[in-house]
Amino acid sequence: MRAPEGDEARQWREEFEAAARRPLRTRFRYAFVRTYKPVLDDATYRSFDTLSEYRAWCERELPRWLGYGREV
Amino acid sequence: MAAKFEYTQAEEIRDAFARHGVRYLFIGKSGAILLGFPDTTQDADLFVEKSEANGRSIVQALDDLGFELTLAQKDEIERGKDFVQLKNGPFDLDLVFAPDGIETFEDAWARRVEVEGFTVCHPADIVASKKAANRVKDRESLPRLEAFLEYWRERNR
Repeated sequence: MRAPEGDEARQWREEFEAAARRPLRTRFRYAFVRTYKPVLDDATYRSFDTLSEYRAWCERELPRWLGYGREV
Repeated sequence: MAAKFEYTQAEEIRDAFARHGVRYLFIGKSGAILLGFPDTTQDADLFVEKSEANGRSIVQALDDLGFELTLAQKDEIERGKDFVQLKNGPFDLDLVFAPDGIETFEDAWARRVEVEGFTVCHPADIVASKKAANRVKDRESLPRLEAFLEYWRERNR
C-alpha cells in the first residue's frame, strides 16, 4: 500500500477539516455519484452464500478495470 | 439503473430500519462518508446482523422502502446469505451479513458510532474490512482512509 507523498498528507488533512465544517446533508450531496458499471449493474438482484463466493464471482465476471478484483 | 443515493434516502433507511428494529451498521465508503470522510461512492453498504428475526425485519423495512422482492428473495434475506446486492428498489443497496475483517456483528455493534441517528461502523472496522477485502479499489482508497482514521481519532479523543 502506498504512503502519501510530499504535501499529500497535509492536503488530505485540510480536506478532512473542511469536510468536518460542512453539514452531513451537504457532504452527502457531493459524495454519492452514479455511473453505469457493466455486468454489475445488469441484474436487479444477486445473492451469495459466502463473501468469498461473491469475491470469486467478481474476479470471474467483472471487467478488471472496475477494480473489484485483487489483481490489476 | 437506480438514481444516485441521496441524504433523504439514507434518512429513509434509518427510519424504516428503526421502525422494524433492524440491527444494522453502515459500512464501507458510505459509512466513512457519514463519519466525515470526503470522498465519493456509488451506493450504500449495510452490515446487518445475521439472524432470522433480523432477516424478517430487514424484509419488512425493504418493503416499506419500495424494494420489489420476490418470495424467494425474501426467503434468502431472512435465512441470511452472506452477501445480497439489491438493485430492484429506489436506490442500490448492498447487504453484507459477514464482512471481511470483522469477527462478529456484536463486536462491530459494540464499537459503533452514531451520527445524526445513523448507526455506523467504527472507522477502524471500515479500514479493517477494506484491508481484508484487498481489492484493487480498496487498496487505492486505503491510504487516505487510514489518514482519515487517524484524524477522526484525534478529533474524537
